[in-house]
Amino acid sequence: MNKYLNVNRIWIIMVILTISTYAVGKLGYSGIYVVLFLLTTAIIKSSFIIGDFMEVRGTSLLWRILMYGWLWLVTITIAVTYLISQ
Amino acid sequence: MNTEHSQIKTAVEPKLLPGDFAIWFFIFAELLVFGIFFIVYAVVRMQNQELFNQYQDTLNREVGAINTVLLITASYFVVRAIHAIRRDDVSRCIHWLSASMLAGGGFLIFKSLEFYGKFSAGIGLETNTFYFFYISLAFFHFLHVILGMIILGAIIFMAKRGKYSAQEHTGIETGASYWHMVDLVWIILFPLVYIIR
Repeated sequence: MNKYLNVNRIWIIMVILTISTYAVGKLGYSGIYVVLFLLTTAIIKSSFIIGDFMEVRGTSLLWRILMYGWLWLVTITIAVTYLISQ
Repeated sequence: MNTEHSQIKTAVEPKLLPGDFAIWFFIFAELLVFGIFFIVYAVVRMQNQELFNQYQDTLNREVGAINTVLLITASYFVVRAIHAIRRDDVSRCIHWLSASMLAGGGFLIFKSLEFYGKFSAGIGLETNTFYFFYISLAFFHFLHVILGMIILGAIIFMAKRGKYSAQEHTGIETGASYWHMVDLVWIILFPLVYIIR
C-alpha cells in the first residue's frame, strides 16, 4: 500500500515542480541562479522517472551509472554553457 | 551456515531491470541521441543568445507546461498499470494503460496544434537557428510519443487477450520502460527550449 502512496506523492511533487518551472518562465526570470533552479527541478523530476518509474534504483551499478550519468552529464553541460555565456 | 550465507548474498544482489533487457540498450541509445541534441542546442544558443531569447518568447509556455503534466501523468498511469498486473488485476491494468493513452493522446493533440500554429504562420526549419532546433527536437520527440502510443496500444490489445499475468508481464514492463524514456526526454526538453534563458 505504501508503494502506491509513494507513487502518488511522486506524481504530485513532479506536477508541482512543473508548475514552478512554468511560473519562472512566465515571470520572465533569468540569470544563472534561475538556470540552476530550473535544471535542479529537471534533475529531481528525472531522478524520480529513472529511479522510481523506470525502477533503475537498486539495479546493477553499471545501469545506474549509465542512466543517472546521462542525466548529470547533460544537465551539467547545459549549466556550464549558460554559465560561460553569462 | 551455508544456507544462511547464500540468503544474505541473495539479499544484496542487485535487482534486474524491468522488461526485456534488450529495450534498455535501445533506451540508452535514444537517450544518447537526445543528450547530444540538447548539448548542441545549449552550445549553439551560447553563440546566438539574443536570437534564442527573442524567439523563445514566441513559444506557448502554457501548452509546454500542460504537455509536461500530461506526459508525467501518463507515466504515472503506466506505473499504476504495472502495479495492477503484478497483483494479477488485468482489468485494472488495462484501465490504467488506457488512461495513459488518453494522456498521451492529449499531448499529441496539443503538440499538433502548436506545430499547426507555427507552420501556418510560415515558420519552418529554415526560418532561423532557434526554430531549426525547436522544430527538430520537438518533432523528433513527437515521433517517439507516437511510437510509445503504438506500443501502449499493442500492450492493451495483448492484455485484453489474456497474454499477461502476475507471473508473466515482461511485455508491459518493456513498453512501460520505453514510455518513461519518452517522458524523461521531455522533462529536460521543456525547461531547456521553453523556459531557460
